[in-house]
Amino acid sequence: MTPNNLIPQILAFIFYLVLQIFFVRQLVLFDYAFCFAYVGSILLLPFDTSRTRLIILGFLVGLIVDIFYNTIGANAAAMTLIAYLRPSVITLLMPQRGYDERDTLSLKSMGFPWFISYCGILIFVHHLVLFFLEASSLNLLGFVLLKVVASTIFTTLVLLIIQLFRKE
Amino acid sequence: MYQLIEFISKKRAFIVFVLLEILSLWFFYSVNNYPNAIFFNTTNAYVARIIGLSNSIKAYRSLDETNAELAAENRELNEKLARLQSEKLPLLSINYKADSAVAARFKPVVAKVINLTTTQFNNYITIDKGSADGLAPGMGVISSTGVVGKIKSCSPHFSRIISILHAEYTVSAKIKRNNEIGSIKWDGVNSEIVEMTDVSRYKSVQKKDTIVTSDYNYVFPPNITIGYVTYLGVKPDQTFHHIKLKLATNFNTLSYVYVINNKLEKEQRALEESVSTEKENPAKK
Repeated sequence: MTPNNLIPQILAFIFYLVLQIFFVRQLVLFDYAFCFAYVGSILLLPFDTSRTRLIILGFLVGLIVDIFYNTIGANAAAMTLIAYLRPSVITLLMPQRGYDERDTLSLKSMGFPWFISYCGILIFVHHLVLFFLEASSLNLLGFVLLKVVASTIFTTLVLLIIQLFRKE
Repeated sequence: MYQLIEFISKKRAFIVFVLLEILSLWFFYSVNNYPNAIFFNTTNAYVARIIGLSNSIKAYRSLDETNAELAAENRELNEKLARLQSEKLPLLSINYKADSAVAARFKPVVAKVINLTTTQFNNYITIDKGSADGLAPGMGVISSTGVVGKIKSCSPHFSRIISILHAEYTVSAKIKRNNEIGSIKWDGVNSEIVEMTDVSRYKSVQKKDTIVTSDYNYVFPPNITIGYVTYLGVKPDQTFHHIKLKLATNFNTLSYVYVINNKLEKEQRALEESVSTEKENPAKK
């Protein structure tokens, strides 16, 4: 991370946290779909961010969101996990030609199929951990799974919309 | 030593990951449960202020509603206080004998079941008597074998009962053998099995114990059978028994029920409410 892209990154973090805490916290669609758009703060860091840095940042962002949701630890655990998995998922989704030096982690640069599978996988893992920690039992398995799937779609959509409004 | 340092620096990301994951789970499972934890949640003053900011517009819009809710809660708390105080009295007197009117305060009305469900998540029962026969919402309903539910709404000739097989209905109950108190709730799965909660695992419970209604409710007379313990375990939180009972009433074949009219309920409630209004406005006296 070079100093000249440090400030935009800090701004991006603040943007995602403000979005999460002030705007989408109370947003629930059809009683099933919850939005955790703040996941984008970790998912959309540049390709060359080191794994350790991802994990520490993920933990901190999750902790901050947890405080506002009264679920201390749940978001942090989910974020730490997806921050750890992120480099592996990127390798998994590597196009045949390999990644280009000029590629940046955005919808425009990577294209729609890559972007949606990348976000979809990691958001699904995040929500799976989060909701099952909160349900704390397997009694309502189907109900919780439905919530996970609905919320994954919702969060991914919100991240896509943010990408569409992004300036290059 | 050098190899160890090399190993740590190679696996740095994994080690950080494991440590932070353990830390989060520890937060989740322990810190969350401290009743007086005030930093890591919305009771934290700064967090509360930020949330307050984002909620302020919404709050203005729903001020009336909130006010009404608070007033209702206030009334409810006062009512509970008064009831608890009045319940304590009999325990203190040594030669306690119930007044005959109090002892005979429950008057049953027989009614026929005309519709019932047992397979939905929230089950209701319809009976063929209504307000014309003196029934009113809130009255308890039992069958010859045990507890059935509570009247939810009345038309002149019909009434709708929330059955005990309803996700949001709880009945105050006790173990007949030793008077341990708990509450009965349906888990939504099997129409013959309900759960009893809030019984500390350090109290004695045995299989085949009979569970009956407790003395602490307006709706049912005490000692009406609810069911029999068929499963006994410990809840994951390690503090309460996990008790399942087979219902004494077979809902699938239910045909006649008794509606319990507590004749002294109004008197009891009026008295208790006057006690609570006195408490609310001591200056008026």
